[in-house]
Amino acid sequence: MIIDQTVEQCRDVLDLMPGEAIARAREKHPGIKGFGVFPVYAPVEIIHAAGLMPVGMFGAGNKVEISHADSRFQSFICSIAKSTLELFLRGDMEDFVGAVFSSICDVARNLSSVVHRNAPNIYVEYLHLPQSRISDATVAYTRMEFERFRKNLSHHLGRPIGNDAIAHSIGLYNKVRRLTRELYQHRKERPGSIAASELYAVVQAGTRIMPEEFIVLLEPFVEAVKQREVHERDCVNVVIEGAFCEQMPLGLIDVIEAAGCQVKDDDLAVGWRLFEDDVSTEGNGTAALADAYLSRTVYTSVRHDGDQPRTEGLVRRMKDAGSEAVIFAPAKFCEPALLDYVMFRQRLEKDNIAHLKVEFEEKMWTFESARTEMETFAESMLFD
Amino acid sequence: MITGGIDIGAKTIKVVLVEEGKILAKSLVPAGLDTDAATNQAVEDALSAANLKKDAVARFIATGTGRKTCPVTDNEVTEVSAAANGAVHVFPNCRTVVDVGAEEGRTIRCNEEGKVIDFAFNEKCAAGAGTFAEGMARALEVSLEELGPMSLRSNEAVPMNAQCAVFAESEVVTLIHNKTPREDIARAVLDAVASRIISMVRKVGFAPDIALIGGVALNPGFIAAMKRGLETEVLVPEEPEYVGALGAALSGI
Repeated sequence: MIIDQTVEQCRDVLDLMPGEAIARAREKHPGIKGFGVFPVYAPVEIIHAAGLMPVGMFGAGNKVEISHADSRFQSFICSIAKSTLELFLRGDMEDFVGAVFSSICDVARNLSSVVHRNAPNIYVEYLHLPQSRISDATVAYTRMEFERFRKNLSHHLGRPIGNDAIAHSIGLYNKVRRLTRELYQHRKERPGSIAASELYAVVQAGTRIMPEEFIVLLEPFVEAVKQREVHERDCVNVVIEGAFCEQMPLGLIDVIEAAGCQVKDDDLAVGWRLFEDDVSTEGNGTAALADAYLSRTVYTSVRHDGDQPRTEGLVRRMKDAGSEAVIFAPAKFCEPALLDYVMFRQRLEKDNIAHLKVEFEEKMWTFESARTEMETFAESMLFD
Repeated sequence: MITGGIDIGAKTIKVVLVEEGKILAKSLVPAGLDTDAATNQAVEDALSAANLKKDAVARFIATGTGRKTCPVTDNEVTEVSAAANGAVHVFPNCRTVVDVGAEEGRTIRCNEEGKVIDFAFNEKCAAGAGTFAEGMARALEVSLEELGPMSLRSNEAVPMNAQCAVFAESEVVTLIHNKTPREDIARAVLDAVASRIISMVRKVGFAPDIALIGGVALNPGFIAAMKRGLETEVLVPEEPEYVGALGAALSGI
């Protein structure tokens, strides 16, 4: 009962336009304004500590017709960039103070500039996240960059963003991430206790709800999932890789499991649950976040980790999850994901690990071709 | 044990009844708008041809794009698995299957048991499917059946640059205006379809023998274009449009 209600509630949140999500948050936090967070990662704690609501900007799904953004971006640009820009150009972000983008790809970098030029009332911040985490200068640099983000935001708002406030926000987001990790871990141990689309709806809704309220929603949900009866089924255990930025349509996630696969781990909305354990709430908050970003995060395709290749990260993730195959789910035209696909594929084939690539885009609404591919994949693995 | 395979494609519905690996009967009915009625008709036709009652068939297995809504089915299998299964049954040494139907083309790499190893779809590209050839035949004012033999009489290869069915059609119109012989245009059209499919074959990585199945494999011009493009022989069954239904029927054993 709690599970169905929570999932329904979260799906309802996912259907909200950004301004509607802010309006809903104002029922508990009168007058609060939003701050957009473009994937993959940004220190949302600093935004929250500034008295703003961090809102994940994952495009607009199929809720918005692209009419303005096409004039700014070429046809070979991913859908999330276009629909995000469309939201700004249509005036859907009026309840937002600003938005943060980061150095994940050329498109995201250009998007931040295009938004900056075309939405003059929006404060646009661009985070230069380090591309290497093994050099000596990286720690000092990252701390400086996170501190710059805090100072600039504070200056823009005309109010301080204190260490105590940041520590409080870190504490809240630590709890959200801890509960999310519990859900992910539980799914690995008892697959079938939560469907991939259920878990995704809940985690994704957390990017559009204030953490104070999300924790209240999440705590009983996690307990209910742990108590849920599991019906085992014959299926292929998989991990999803490649959907770290633009998010898969819920219908496609459903198709993966309906086709005979069981998702045991994924990288959906991974930037919001990037840390492997809690971030320190002691001392300087921005430094704690910077240190955590460098040392205690899961791998992603948008950061170079010379000492920990992503290919090994994927193999490790598969083994940890007890899965036997990988579903690559890159968004169409997603350069980081599609470039990594070649490396990942090579690595998996070295160990004879089965894999399938299914590309998606925001406005995808019919999944028949993907369903046939997924079913064939499952059939080829299940029936010898 | 008798089993039935029902392949519900975009344009036609094929039914094959099988016993001990041997085909008892088969039928083909245009899909039309009422696919349920067409499916029932195709099943009735096959049963009648085999002089059997429906309950003599242990199970019906559906495949094809309409498999999810098949009104007569005990189970289903994807068209990819069915194609591989059927092709290896017909040609035991087949390791690559190229299946081109009205709306879709696919390439499948399989093992000696007909199990799928890898596959690729011709996604969202009409230029790599039968309907494209049909449309171009209309532009040339010949029937689809005439297009293939006509292309074999071509004396010159005319390149077709367009990567898309819509643009290709305007290119065909330009060729017509330039008084290019129809035989050469017909070959250009079928070369273009084959070129799409061959890219997919190379993506999957092909191993001999290669079998060409699906309705488009009835077109001798397309077969010739595939042989030219792949620079190898391809095997074509006598009735390539039934191989998917055959594979589905065999998977029910």
